[in-house]
Amino acid sequence: MTRRRLNIVLLYAGVVLTCAILLFPIYWLVVTALSKPIDLRVLPPNFWPEVPQWQVFAKVLADRPLLLWLVNSTLAALGAVTLSMSVSIFAGYSLSRFRVRGGQSLGLFILTAKMLPATLLVIPLFGIFRSMGLVGSLWSVILAQATLIVPVTTWRLKGYVDTLPRELEQAAMVDGCSPLGALFRVILPVATPGLAATCLYGFVLSWSEYAYARTFLTSAQGNWTANLGLTTMKGEYVSDWNEISAAAIMVAIPVLLIYLFLERYLVSGLTAGAEK
Amino acid sequence: MAGIRIENVRKSFGVLEVLKGFSLDVADGEFVVLVGPSGCGKSTMLKILAGLDDATSGQILIGDREVTDVAPGERDVAMVFQNYALYPHLSVAKNMGFGLKMRGMARAEIDRRVREAARILDVEHLLDRRPKQLSGGQRQRVALGRAIVREPQAFLMDEPLSNLDAKLRVHMRAEIGALHKRLGVTTIYVTHDQIEAMTMADRIVIMRDGAIQQIADPDTMFQHPANLFVAGFIGSPGMNFMRSMVTMGASGPQLRLFGQDVPVDRPIAELAGKPVIVGLRPEHFAAGPGPVSFTVTPRLIESLGSEKYLYIEVPEENRGAITATRGGEDDHRGDSVIARIMDVGAIPQSEPITLSFDPSRLYLFDAETHVTIAG
Amino acid sequence: MSRLPLLDLARPSRRHWLGYLLLAPAVVLIALIIIYPLIVSFDISFQKVDIVRLDRRAPFNLVNYQQLLGSAEFWMACWVTLKMVVIVTACCVALGLGTALLVNNHFRGRTVARLLVALPWAVPEIIAVVIFAWIFDSSFGLMNWLFFRLGLINETINWFSDPNAAFVAVVVTMVWKGYPFVSIMALAGLQSIPEDYYNAARVDGANAWNRFTHITIPSLMPVLGVTMVLVLLWVFRDFSIINVMTGGGPLKATQTLSIMTYEHAFGFFKMGYASAVGVVTLIFCVLASLLMIGREADGIY
Repeated sequence: MTRRRLNIVLLYAGVVLTCAILLFPIYWLVVTALSKPIDLRVLPPNFWPEVPQWQVFAKVLADRPLLLWLVNSTLAALGAVTLSMSVSIFAGYSLSRFRVRGGQSLGLFILTAKMLPATLLVIPLFGIFRSMGLVGSLWSVILAQATLIVPVTTWRLKGYVDTLPRELEQAAMVDGCSPLGALFRVILPVATPGLAATCLYGFVLSWSEYAYARTFLTSAQGNWTANLGLTTMKGEYVSDWNEISAAAIMVAIPVLLIYLFLERYLVSGLTAGAEK
Repeated sequence: MAGIRIENVRKSFGVLEVLKGFSLDVADGEFVVLVGPSGCGKSTMLKILAGLDDATSGQILIGDREVTDVAPGERDVAMVFQNYALYPHLSVAKNMGFGLKMRGMARAEIDRRVREAARILDVEHLLDRRPKQLSGGQRQRVALGRAIVREPQAFLMDEPLSNLDAKLRVHMRAEIGALHKRLGVTTIYVTHDQIEAMTMADRIVIMRDGAIQQIADPDTMFQHPANLFVAGFIGSPGMNFMRSMVTMGASGPQLRLFGQDVPVDRPIAELAGKPVIVGLRPEHFAAGPGPVSFTVTPRLIESLGSEKYLYIEVPEENRGAITATRGGEDDHRGDSVIARIMDVGAIPQSEPITLSFDPSRLYLFDAETHVTIAG
Repeated sequence: MSRLPLLDLARPSRRHWLGYLLLAPAVVLIALIIIYPLIVSFDISFQKVDIVRLDRRAPFNLVNYQQLLGSAEFWMACWVTLKMVVIVTACCVALGLGTALLVNNHFRGRTVARLLVALPWAVPEIIAVVIFAWIFDSSFGLMNWLFFRLGLINETINWFSDPNAAFVAVVVTMVWKGYPFVSIMALAGLQSIPEDYYNAARVDGANAWNRFTHITIPSLMPVLGVTMVLVLLWVFRDFSIINVMTGGGPLKATQTLSIMTYEHAFGFFKMGYASAVGVVTLIFCVLASLLMIGREADGIY
């Protein structure tokens, strides 16, 4: 084999091996979910169940209020994203287009706001929500998650609007729009891809959130989000790992799908905005 | 009825003065070109005219109506941008009709006007396409169409041809010219290309560093530039500049050029003993003997077929004319002048050639202020 | 359309008002849910309170800070945090950079490979905990079986009862969740290095290692710097992974400052003290952010 071919083969081998190792945990999750509970208490472990137990998903849905949890996560995400986007679209646009006094410092603050530890913020938020009677309601989670999402979406949207030429609004204004009209009739329609991507990113952030959900919702079982519900499935001594895994898969699927189909958009904003 | 009056408009960003007291009267139907190097303030002025920027002081009147602080949409002007600024999410037809729709015009009327404009600009077959499906030239025509349908009091054009390739630019130049003849709408056109200015303008406003250098029609500006900058900016290749002392000779004032004392029939006697800057256009050199002749070996000969550019080194005493022309088109002539000779056949390299010029073609500029003394 | 002259934001002289107007909702929201709570937490940290009350204020008291400075638990948490931050960040950077370099090559299916390599990023942290809690299960988990087979151990490691083992389990989970971010950023950085740099180096006779150390690494430094700080901050702040996996134990072996803050707030209901710990954590975070802002201001891309 020529040197070149050897390199290519090694490269492919390396890539396949790397992916296999790094993605193995996900594979293992699926295997665990599809195994019979008995088979999970046996060594050596099976690397693929003899008879995949596809019915585990239905069983989990029946045994646990998983559907309710998923609905709650969805509601919380929708609420948090809607709230966040409705302020950050305008803020991002303003930061991009206008030279606002204090805009620089606001931008800087937003950058740092992403780094605030939730474990600190959760304490005063608890006090605030308690006095407002919101503890146990999804609204507390929606507002709390907004603290995570608003900085991120504002920054991303600012970056995105930066890529749109100013002449677009200028043309619209000369054509007879007010500046606000230009924003709604021209900029927003043109920015739809960026808006959609940012919404989805906010959705991912909300869906994965746990700290606030756990603090504010533990007392209200009917409002548990999926992450919270999942942690309660882990027993003190014994757990039904196949069921937990199946539930975990169902919780992970929405964001995995979002990731797979929109990785390009998600990632481009990530690298432009440089945040996690 | 739709003339434009700009009265002493100033624009500063903090301490930076970008426009210094701009005043201009544009007659109805006139095609005025604002030209100058980048950073001279021409685009800023246009944006202020459009209402996209606010002036620090001054007044603007469009058709006798004061519009200094009026929204861009209410000024009844239409604008064409350098990068076309077509609305990507709308079809060509909707792009062109957008402004009319904003004004609440009836659908049928919008359609009629759009179709008419599309016909004039030959984009009828593109009406249902999206901007990203069009070529640069087509997009520019759609942008023009968007301006035309509004039937505004004035067109404002911000370097509309700069993004097109050379051939297309020449073609579109003619088209815009024809359009203006046909529609007769007052037009303010901004460009950095002096050729566009010369070929398209009724009057040219040449700017530098935020200040107007001269306002004149093309021929006048070419033949009677107000100062050194204008003289060097207009014309291609630009005017040659040399430094010379004024001396008094037997028959009157003289200038020392190319090793000779050249008598000049200009009233510069009081400048005797002082230096002046002398300008001579490349095309005013001739091959062979003439009123003032000299023999010289060209440093470099560029042949374009029927015309040839000869780079001639300037004698020591004539050097040092131009100091840092910021933004001016300094074409690395250095210590040479360019002579443009037409139809002269092959000129052997590295051999002396006789050239001549007529001293009445010389321009004289004040060595300090660069203002034209005589020309 | 006639508008009130004063409110007509389309006029050139008034247009910049719109900038402020558009910014207002965000500013108000941030003030309400971030700035105000922050102020409250600072306030509380100086009070000896059990539960946060907004209506009553306890007298100003430095006892919380005194207590934490003298507390062995606090210093232990600092040490644990430091260990975890350094190890996880280093591993994430190494793994992330490695995978980025790998998938930056040209080969068929590289788009798919890129997608797959960064997939753990999209997996919610809780799910990652589920996965690794099972893998590290002491009785039937994969890890113990693997170690057995590889001859590394003779008896089962009780991953979640042994302090050091628990630490390792948490670190592994964190690295798995954290490296994709570095990978994505590094890949973007790699792709923005002009091909010509490498071509010029090749012509000059540099081999692959030289090219790596003299072109790749220097060009990536800004991006890697920022990324490292972001990963660092993420580890610092993390709650989900540690809390669900080990709860900070066993014996506080995995209790970072962040976990300690939460524990004292909602485990022991000593919110004043917890806020003090939280404020200290915040100060570290801010210092680290300044590090990053400094780098970012130097102009990354």
